[in-house]
This record gives sequence, structure tokens and C-alpha cells, in this order.
Amino acid sequence: MTEPPAAFAAELVGVSKRFGPVLANDGIDLAVARGEVHAVVGENGAGKSTLMSILYGLHRPDAGHVLRAGRRVRLRSPADAIRHGLGMVHQRFRLFPGLTVAENIVIGAEPVRGGRLDHTAAHRAVTALADRYGLRADPSALVGDLPVGVRQRVEILRALYRQAEVLILDEPTAVLTPGEADRLFEVLRTVAATGVAILLVTHKLTEVLAASDQVTVLRQGRVTGRFTTAGTDAGELVHAMIGRSLTPPAPRRARPPEGDPALDVRDLTVRDADGVARLSGVSFTVRPGEIVGIAGVAGSGQRELIDSVTGLRGGTDGVLLDGTPVRPGRDPRVAYIPEDRHGRATAPDMSLAENLLMGGQRTLATRFGLPRAAVRSRGRELVERFAINTASVDLPIAALSGGNAQKAVLARELTRPSRVIVAEEPTQGVDVGVRERVHALLIAARDQGAAVLLQSSELAELRELADRILVLFEGRTVAEFGPDAAEAELGQAMTGVRG
Amino acid sequence: MTAVATRTVRRVVLSAPVVAVGGALALTTLVMLVVGVDPSLAYPALVRGAIADGNLEYTIAAFVPTLGMALAFALPLRAGEFNLGGDGQLAAGGVAAAALALSAPLPPVLAVLLPLAAATLAGGLVAALAAPLSTRLGIPAIVSTLLISAPAVSLASYLVRFPLGEQGTGLAQTPPLPAAAHLPALTEGGYVTLGLPLIVALTGLWLYADGRTVLGYELRATGRNREFARYGGVRVNRLAAFALAGGGGFAGLVGGLIVLGPPYRFVDGALTAPGYTFTAVAAVLLAAARPFAVPVAVALLTLLQVGGQGMEREAGVPSQLTQIVQGLIIVIVAVFATVRARRRRA
Repeated sequence: MTEPPAAFAAELVGVSKRFGPVLANDGIDLAVARGEVHAVVGENGAGKSTLMSILYGLHRPDAGHVLRAGRRVRLRSPADAIRHGLGMVHQRFRLFPGLTVAENIVIGAEPVRGGRLDHTAAHRAVTALADRYGLRADPSALVGDLPVGVRQRVEILRALYRQAEVLILDEPTAVLTPGEADRLFEVLRTVAATGVAILLVTHKLTEVLAASDQVTVLRQGRVTGRFTTAGTDAGELVHAMIGRSLTPPAPRRARPPEGDPALDVRDLTVRDADGVARLSGVSFTVRPGEIVGIAGVAGSGQRELIDSVTGLRGGTDGVLLDGTPVRPGRDPRVAYIPEDRHGRATAPDMSLAENLLMGGQRTLATRFGLPRAAVRSRGRELVERFAINTASVDLPIAALSGGNAQKAVLARELTRPSRVIVAEEPTQGVDVGVRERVHALLIAARDQGAAVLLQSSELAELRELADRILVLFEGRTVAEFGPDAAEAELGQAMTGVRG
Repeated sequence: MTAVATRTVRRVVLSAPVVAVGGALALTTLVMLVVGVDPSLAYPALVRGAIADGNLEYTIAAFVPTLGMALAFALPLRAGEFNLGGDGQLAAGGVAAAALALSAPLPPVLAVLLPLAAATLAGGLVAALAAPLSTRLGIPAIVSTLLISAPAVSLASYLVRFPLGEQGTGLAQTPPLPAAAHLPALTEGGYVTLGLPLIVALTGLWLYADGRTVLGYELRATGRNREFARYGGVRVNRLAAFALAGGGGFAGLVGGLIVLGPPYRFVDGALTAPGYTFTAVAAVLLAAARPFAVPVAVALLTLLQVGGQGMEREAGVPSQLTQIVQGLIIVIVAVFATVRARRRRA
């Protein structure tokens, strides 16, 4: 192979792609060099995923083309892309949990001996690969037994095993803990050092600044900024992403919360179906006008705590709302913003208006039923008030971007007549603009006297919003911090290290 | 304007039901040609068999139970439950109606109303058996309704042969019902009865409830995403049970309507042999989650079925050919749904 030495590893030239009325990509140029970590950032719906799908052969551009090592290539499918040395690590892993690490890595290009998978050769190849890139992974471990961070490493190894020279990672840290994310960035550095070009799709600016060499910013399908990471800062990137600067966070309210607790959790113990205690003797209160944060590594009892507080786990004496026990089913006295947007917070293929209705259907009903006009007009009112960006309230909510769907969930829950608000990862998977808006809404609710319970895996979010932070570890509250707690302190408490 | 019109036309022409019916007819034509049947004779015979020469009355008489069975499948389907036990619910309804009409002499109007109510109740109870199996034990309704169906049909068959059977004839049928229990006929042949306006009214009621009531909204939310509905405070288990029982009630009512119509007795097998249940399932699937399309799809498939018998008489084409059409429609609809789901995931 004779390739022009100056050529980029991969280049998208003048790429445009239209989906119906939406111009997802509008004449985008993007080039990534060998050995470079290139971040592609933008809000949800800015066109990042479409662009990467074009580079990986999942979509074909309406205009423009793709260059690979300086030569024009036609990518009709991911198989084409793989043949041309492109690899992609998807947000949702595409691994077989029942197969070993080695089997998952070699799948599709297995070493074969006598018509059967050559396990020894597969192990050898995987070990060699892991050593070469410094990615530790036991080839004989079952993927289903591995933590998420290691599974992601297996995905990366699989791409590298197929000789990927350009590696695309789509929101790779969405599923990782902060520690795992840091390790991922080290891995990306090591891999890039071997000459692989890396495209890192993300909307988290801290990651961009921590892990990339170059940044391309997209907004509404166009490139709005190209930066060398070392020469830029968060403010400049935000401006390119959302077309304005962020307003400074609201000052912390001086007045302390007052009155009797709106939410009182007393010695709450929850056991799972096998009798194992998921929560043991948890007690705390949230007073009106207060945000209490819940921190903890995933699976420390957050799910059980929230499902108990909202009544979804059934009634319990351990949770009191305004002094009376929580009602089973869904206690209407609690507004609840769930983490699982498609699984719980919305019915994706029902219309936006019908999604906004849930919980309020009985108040809108007349003697003759539920007038559609009333459902729509209530939907339109919330769309207006909460600045939800949509063409119509009749569209299925799945057609909205993640940030707008989240705004819809907030609109519905915050307009309930509830004094207690439970927010679970309220800004997961939304961009900085929406994040700012969500935070403002929660603060406004607090200032109007709501008692807010905020569960988040993002420590920065907890420190920014919460008046107090409780740390859950193995189903117990192990520590309580003020909002000025250091991340290191919180991190230690979350992993059970006693300070 | 014209671009919008073109797009609308394209969307209708390329929609799953239209492609399915068109594709199925094309494939059936191919089958006809292969087996040596002249389609130019067969299709007119099919249409004549369905609507001309006084056959329309039979078609309408078949449309009523099929539409009723379509409601029996569609109502639970909106809540995400598959009711495939229509046959059992139908037979239970029929036998309940026959038993009540035969056991006690009733005053004129009640002699019709009470057996129909009993039929509805019986069908609903049989279907509701599946609800606790699904909510408590996790057995999907699609399995339990189907499994409960066979014993229910057999039980009805036993009752009709022995305790309720016509003495001395040896035929598997009940004695004729008293005249007071006969459904008033709307046509001279007596095949189109008061069942037609009743089922049409119930269909209208269902469409209204589905689209414009709290109950309909909560049922649909339960069907689209059960966890979302539960999170929203809807009592999803109770609602799913209600939907199954309601579907069974429709099926039972159809059983009652058949028994109280000509020949005014429960003839063993006469309720399930015409295959109303699965024709109705096919029609609802063809309507593809558009409730308003359900009556249309039922009409289309009923025309095919009744017309198929005419085609057999007139053109010597086996009426099984129309079952091929029906089968192909389901296959094409299923392929469409799968492709669409896969495309959405990508």
C-alpha cells in the first residue's frame, strides 16, 4: 500500500444528510489524523450520531463523501466500513454475555482449525492484542460476569482485532463510573499512541478537555467550531455548542429550609425477592425548600430507595409524606422524574400530548370522557411553558430529541400538585443547554417550597444543587456532607472507605 | 399542494394493510394460474358469491360474529394482552345462553336479554381466568387463553351432547329454543338479526371509549408501555384483567347471538367450525393498531370467506384458496411489522 504520507486517517468532505424535513448534516467537513483523539461534540440532535453513522456505513450521505487514508471510499454497510479499517464502539454494547472475552473478540473473523473455532489461537491472539495496547482483559472470562468498564474494553479490542485504524466511540462514558471513565481515557491514549485515529463522540465538556487533542463542535447540523484542545476552554466550547454563553448558576438561597419534613424516611429496610437486604435502616428527612442529594455507586440501594419513596414498591411505614405513610402504587403526592426515560418515564410511541397527560387524565376528564381537544391544549400549554422544541404535540415522544423528551417529563411532573419531588439522574444524556434548564427548574421548585430528593451519579451536579448530600453504600447511609464537600471525600465514602 | 397529495397517496398505497391485501391477492392469482384456475372466472365468482344473488345476507350474517370476535381480540390487545382463546369464550357464551333459554320460560324481552347477559358473563369469566395466571404466575395471556380455550370448547361440547342434549335423536345439539328466545330477524331469510345493530353499536362504543375516555387512555398506556402506566399510577394488573374479561365478554356475547339466531339451538361445533375467532385475529392484525380500520378489515375478510364458498360452487375453485389469501395477508403484515421494528432500532 502506498499512501500519501500527509493524508488524514479519515476525512468526511462536505457531507449532507436529510431525514424528511430535518437537515441532520449540512455540508460537514471533518478530518482526523493518525494517532489523534478527536472529540466531536454538540447538543443532542446536533448531528453527531448521523455523521458517525455515515462514517460507519450505517447511513449514506445525500451529498459529500468519505476519504480513508486519502482515498475515496464508498461505505454501503458496516461490513464495508470494517473492511476499510473503521471500527465503532456503540453506546449499547453488542456483546454476547454467554461467550468468553476471546470468543466475543474474534467473532466474525474467527481463527478456525478443522472447521471449528481454534480456542488456543483465539486466546493467543487476544492476549497478544491486549498486551500490545495495554488493555487488560482475561480472555477466558465470561463477558456476562464482567463489569461495564471491562465490557467496553472488550468492544474496543474487538474493533482493534479487526485491524481498525479509525475507532469511533459513541458516548462511551455514558455507562461508566467516573473512575472507569478515567481508565477509558488512559486506554484511548495508549491506543492512539500506536497510530490509531480516535473519534470520541460526546457532549460532556470535561471529557473533551481531559481526553482529546482536537475538537470539532456541531450545532444544528453544521460545524460551528474547530479547536485544538490545549488552546481552548469550556466557555469557548459551550459558546460554539449552544450559540450563547451559559448564565451563571443561581446563587444559593440564603434562607434555610423550614417547617416539618415533607418527606420523612424512618428506619427503612427493603429486602429483595431472595430476602437479601437492599436497604438497611435508612433514615433521613427532606424539609420543604431543601434539596437532598443521594450519591453512591450504581446498585447501592438507590433504586429501592426511590421506588419506596414514590410508592411503586408498595406502601411502607418507613416512608412518611407530610406525616402519613406513602400509599402503594404511585403516591400522587410525589412528583417523580425517573432515570429510565424510555422504559418508565414515557411511552415512546404515544404522542407527546398523551405522554404529558399521564397522572392528570382524571382531572381533565368530563362526564363524557376525555376530550381530545383538552388533552392537546394542555400539551401545547406545557410545550410553551417549558420551551419544549417540537413540531406538534401529536408527534410520538420518541421523535423528540433526548433533551426535549426530558423537558417534557419535567413539565409533566413539576406541574403536578406535589410537594415532594424525586429526581433521578435528571440530566443524564442531555446536553449543557437542557442541563442548565433542568437545574433552574429544580431550583425554582425548591424555592417555591418543594422538598427535593435528587439522586445523581454526577458529583458535580449534586454539589451544585444539593443542600446536603447523603452517601449510600451497600444499602446504608454511610455519610452526610454539605454542598462544599470535596469530590475525593465523596468518592471515598461512595466506595466504603471510612474517612 | 400536489407534492403533499402525492406523498399522502404514496403513504396510503405503501401502508402495510394495502400492501398486504394487494400482495396476497397477487400471490393467490399466481397460485390460481399454477393450479390451472382462470382468475378471470374465479374473482367474479368470488364477488358474486359474497354480495350478489341474495348472498349479501349470508355475508352480513357472518360479518356480525366476526366483528364481535374482532372486538374480543382487539380490546385486550390495546392493553397489550393477546386473547387467543376466543373459541373457548365463544362456546362458553353459547352454552350459557342455551342453558338459560332452555331451563326457564322467560317473559318475551327478558328471554332474549338474560341469555345474552349470561353469555357475556360466561365468556368474560373464561377469559378472566387468564388474568391471575399472567399477573401472579407470569404466564403470558397469549399462552393461557389459548390453553384454556380447548377445555372450554370440550366442556361446552359435553354439555350440549349430554345434560342439555336433545333426547332421543342422538344428534349433538340442544333442543330448539323457545320462540320467545329467538332474536328478532331483520331480513326475510332471518339470518340478519338484531345482533347486527347490537354489535355495530358496541363497536362504536368501543371506538369512543378507546380514543376519548380515561379508561381508553389508561388501557392504551398499559399496552404501549406497562411500566410507564404503572409509574403513572395506573393499576395495570387490574386493567389488564379487565381488558381480558371485556374481550371474553364480547366473545361470549357472540356465542349467545349465534345460539339465539337461526337455527335457534346450540349445534355442537357450529360456533367454532366457521373459524370466526382467527378470521377476527387476522382482521385486527391487518388493521394494525388503527381501531377505526377494524370493522373495514373484518368486512374485507368476511367478503373473502363467504365469497370463497361461492367461488367453489360456481367456478369449482376450492374455497381453501381464500384461506391462503388470509394466511398470506397475516404473513405480509407480520413481515412489515418486523422490518419496521428493526429499522427503528437501527
